[in-house]
Amino acid sequence: MTQLVYLIPLFPLIGFLINGLGWRTIPKTAAGIIGSLAILASFVVSVGIFFEVNSPSFHGPVLVHLFDFIQTGKLYIPFTFQVDALSTLFLLIITGVGFLIHVYSTSYMHHDEGMVKYFAFLNLFVFSMLLLVLGANYLVMFIGWEGVGLCSYLLIGFWFKNRDYTNAAKKAFVMNRIGDLGFLVGMMMILFNYGTLSYGEFFGKLGTVPGALGENTYNWIAVCLFIGAIGKSAQIPLYTWLPDAMAGPTPVSALIHAATMVTAGIYMIARSSVLYNLAPFTLHIVAIIGLATAIFAATVAIKQYDIKKVLAYSTVSQLGFMFLALGVGAYTTAVFHVMTHAFFKALLFLGSGSVIHAMGGEQDIRLMGGLGKKMRITQITFLIGCLAISGIPGFSGFFSKDEILAATYAHDPILYYMALAAAMMTAFYMFRLYFLTFTGKFRGTHDQEHHLHESPSAMTIPLIVLAILSVVGGYVGLPAVISEHHALASYLSPVVSNAGEHHMAAGTEWLLMGLSSGLSVVMIIYAFTANKVPSFVPNTGLAKLLENKWYVDEIYDAVIVRPLAALSGLLDKFVEKSGIDGIVNGVGKGVRYGSDRIRMLQTGQVGFYIFVMVLGIVALFAITFFGVKL
Amino acid sequence: MGIYDIAFWILTVIAIGCALGVILSRNPINSVLFLIATFFAISGHYLLLNAQFLAIVNIIVYAGAIMVLFLFVIMLMNLNADVEPQKGRLVQLAGVVSGGALLLVLLAALRTAKYPTLESTPNEIGLIQNLGEVLFTQYVLPFEISSVLFLSAMIGAIVIGKKEDSTHSA
Amino acid sequence: MKAIIAATILGIVMMFAGLQMKNKSSVVTLAIVLAFLLLGVNIWDLVATPATAPVGYFNNMLRIDRYALWFSTLMTGVTVLYTLLVGKEIQKVGVHVAEYFALIFFILCGVYILSCYNNMLMLFLGIEILSIPQYILAGSDKKNLKSSEASLKYFLMGAFSTGILLMGITLLYGATGSFNIVAYSFLQSDALNPLALGGVIFVMIALGFKVSAAPMHMWTPDVYDGSPTPFTAYMATVVKASAFFAFIRLFQVSFGSISSQWTVVLSVITAATLLIGNLTAVFQQSVKRMLSYSSIAQAGFMLFAVLAVNAVAWQGIIIYAVAYSIATIGIFTVLMKLKDYTYDGFNGLAKKEPLLAFVTTIFLFSLAGIPLTGGFMAKYYVIQAVMVQNQFLWLVIFGLLMAAISVYYYFRVIIAMYFKEGNAELHAPVTQGEKVLLVITCGLVILIGIFPQLLLSWI
Repeated sequence: MTQLVYLIPLFPLIGFLINGLGWRTIPKTAAGIIGSLAILASFVVSVGIFFEVNSPSFHGPVLVHLFDFIQTGKLYIPFTFQVDALSTLFLLIITGVGFLIHVYSTSYMHHDEGMVKYFAFLNLFVFSMLLLVLGANYLVMFIGWEGVGLCSYLLIGFWFKNRDYTNAAKKAFVMNRIGDLGFLVGMMMILFNYGTLSYGEFFGKLGTVPGALGENTYNWIAVCLFIGAIGKSAQIPLYTWLPDAMAGPTPVSALIHAATMVTAGIYMIARSSVLYNLAPFTLHIVAIIGLATAIFAATVAIKQYDIKKVLAYSTVSQLGFMFLALGVGAYTTAVFHVMTHAFFKALLFLGSGSVIHAMGGEQDIRLMGGLGKKMRITQITFLIGCLAISGIPGFSGFFSKDEILAATYAHDPILYYMALAAAMMTAFYMFRLYFLTFTGKFRGTHDQEHHLHESPSAMTIPLIVLAILSVVGGYVGLPAVISEHHALASYLSPVVSNAGEHHMAAGTEWLLMGLSSGLSVVMIIYAFTANKVPSFVPNTGLAKLLENKWYVDEIYDAVIVRPLAALSGLLDKFVEKSGIDGIVNGVGKGVRYGSDRIRMLQTGQVGFYIFVMVLGIVALFAITFFGVKL
Repeated sequence: MGIYDIAFWILTVIAIGCALGVILSRNPINSVLFLIATFFAISGHYLLLNAQFLAIVNIIVYAGAIMVLFLFVIMLMNLNADVEPQKGRLVQLAGVVSGGALLLVLLAALRTAKYPTLESTPNEIGLIQNLGEVLFTQYVLPFEISSVLFLSAMIGAIVIGKKEDSTHSA
Repeated sequence: MKAIIAATILGIVMMFAGLQMKNKSSVVTLAIVLAFLLLGVNIWDLVATPATAPVGYFNNMLRIDRYALWFSTLMTGVTVLYTLLVGKEIQKVGVHVAEYFALIFFILCGVYILSCYNNMLMLFLGIEILSIPQYILAGSDKKNLKSSEASLKYFLMGAFSTGILLMGITLLYGATGSFNIVAYSFLQSDALNPLALGGVIFVMIALGFKVSAAPMHMWTPDVYDGSPTPFTAYMATVVKASAFFAFIRLFQVSFGSISSQWTVVLSVITAATLLIGNLTAVFQQSVKRMLSYSSIAQAGFMLFAVLAVNAVAWQGIIIYAVAYSIATIGIFTVLMKLKDYTYDGFNGLAKKEPLLAFVTTIFLFSLAGIPLTGGFMAKYYVIQAVMVQNQFLWLVIFGLLMAAISVYYYFRVIIAMYFKEGNAELHAPVTQGEKVLLVITCGLVILIGIFPQLLLSWI
């Protein structure tokens, strides 16, 4: 079965080709069915592989060689897939949640004229994401990495008629590229120091072959890879693209910007756990950045009014939790949270999609309220999602988040208290969202109220399935005090090596669990009392700061974007305008004045060109003869 | 200082002086005349190097044919100093500064250069017979290949120079 | 060797065909047939030459090795693709269609010389044979003043750089007494005569001019922008690529042993080229002008291969030359179909001509270096070459940063095509045949991206 792994990315690729090539002729319904079936087929194969990987007879990773990719001198990079516990788990998440979101989209996007194109992009995304997790070396991962970035770009800008949306798409792409730069440099350092990009070889050589920079090599490589992860997984300082990415269709936000793509960074670090264990300094940075992001994004989410923006910042915050887990060396816990988060965050996004659908495109929660009466299924599933993300005992989020908190406590209690604060804020803003949307009185227009309805079954069934998963998904990883057997950890143990196991007294663990869940309940009650009616009074002071997301976008604009644009403009002005066109008249003028003047024009311009060239020659000679020698 | 050296320096001064005259004179006709003088001075250098054939060809082809053609063009088109674009002071200054800087940096760079003597004994390579022999044995390929260069230049003259007759084009 | 003769003869055939054939489209057909013939001659040459040590011809004027033959074949292949895609557009430039093709065959003759020259005289001749037809082609649209302007500018600047090249060759000869690039005496002696080093720098500057490296790049935007678009497509691709091949041939084979003397200055040139090309491209409004600046930026990356004196660099330059040429010719083909060359001219192309928009997207991906396209592999190989050299890590990082910037201006075109409302106007409807050709071109770009080894199989 594992040898058939190439089928998994093949199906979405075929789906993409069919829908992509025939996007003008294929009827919408057929496109939805093709797209969904392609993912379903991949899911079935993934399940088959999962059972094989999970069986006791499975030993070590299976490498499936497809073809030779690069062969230069000593360097050899094949195009190979790696099947092991980690990649299989991600396969299940991607194809499983992906399938549900495809089904949901068949209904959600049905009124959109670009539906066929949409499914083509979505399939292409799943294909790239599968490449990312299946690759047996960093280069294949990088190809998938770029691919998902591209698809995310295409899908954020899917409703391209809105200029803001295309700008959001561009922002996402550029920020991702900055991160990719780090990834690339990291890859080169690996290549340079170890002569390979394959996981197996690289990890094998790690402990034994010292790099060019000695011990620091590990840290340098790890930091560079982490920069890539920061970009892709929207951490401080490269997180601002993710909230803007909500411009895309809601199922896209659910799939790409909550469940799968943004967790690629966590996947990469978990995959490289051997490396990160050797780089404690970098791990420390990972933990700090993760925690800072978790707190920071949570504060912003408290004061947002756009239903999707709240969820977006909550995603950034949850990703921060995952990085915190990675940073304290609890890799399996981070992967665990990736899984539960995929369930409940996809559920919440799809639920919000259902709400937006019913409200006719309205996203401001101040104009909602009382939707629960009209949309029972959406309300209940959304509530389950909120309970899960807030970490109420019994729901999946509780188990994974509690594990993160426990691991953090074992690592450093100070980090623990800060993380706890972020978790409290999570409970608050999620239930603020819930109460404002589903309870109280309806505050929208009369037309909207009339229009309110429950979504069709193609949308509610995925919600129900995800709600069930959000409840039971946590039971694969019971806390140590409840069960000796942590199913997920033992499943992942051959691939991911946690940095130091922590054992704490049963009493402490019970105490931590009780503390976090108790505080969550308090916050929910507080959210209920504080948010019966939203205030339309403009915010002031800290609240205003939060509502405007700490003005980070504005700061970036002033510090980075504008100076760059100014530099480019300056070059344009001096080299293009003042330099050339300034010495002589512009070419356009010349055409009008006729050939006699043109002759003069050229002598002037060429003279200037040659002037620059001569100065260049002088400089180059000076460097050669009087400059630094190697 | 022998007669050879005296001739060398005289020719050099003439060549450089006339070359400066080409770019400094305002009247195009004067420029052309200065250029012809420069070519003569360079031909003198060829003679000093024992390259008689090259010296003659240089005078016949460059000073004779090409420069006369230049003069014709200038006179026929009636280009005189008035139409010559007046360059600003700044442009002149830029030219002088960049040229001077280049000269300076080259002198500085090459001040320690060694100038090996490549051909110590006076040879007869400049004579037509020897030149022809070398040209058709050792350097036959560049000699032949340069015909492609001239061919494309001729095509260029036709393509650029021929009047585009719209009725002719089918 | 056979190819040099064949290219010359076919050029002359083309010239005489202009006398006999009055119908423009039959001239184009003949040119396509002859280009295929030339490709056949190249392949024959390649197959017939055993992969042994290089052989010298004509008193070592030429030195034929596998790299040279394979590069010639690839460039001829690109030219065949070019004539197929662009042939129809060349008809529209002016009346002398046969002469234009004759000049292109002569350029190919220069390309072959530059791929196997072993003597400074042959380098000079090759560069000139490559350049003079370009001056003419640049000015071939005589109704357009910008075209004449481009031609004159290119000619004057080119004459200046020729002077510098000759100066360099002279200094090298003065220091070593040789024109033969493998017999320079500084290869043996320890102390380098400044005279020879000066020659090396002059030659570097002259070749840098031909490949439009900063600060010798100033002519590029004006000339590329002003020339008739079909010829810009050729200048920016095959011509530039072979100038690069000549560059790397000289600096590896001949000056490789003294690389510590010139790599620093070349790294400065590379950085400047990358910076100017990329930053100025950001601000352009015309796609054609943007592509001129982008060709400067791409030259910056190709300079990486010259900078790295090793075997990977050779592979890199071959992959880069082909990947970049194919993608650029593809983009220019699409551009020629449009009435408006500004970004706005691309608005809404995806609605009107989805296939055209799709292939353009792939070509732009390749230029931007997105994985699974040829451009990614090309960048990968040249960067790999520098990494192997274990120097200039700063330049690699700088280059990657610049590549990130390049994404911005390439994607502006994609945004215009897919995400903007508009009615991209075409000169004429795109025929089925052209669509098939564009799809094949696009397939080649992806093929190189997945199997770059294919391009290295013959060396």
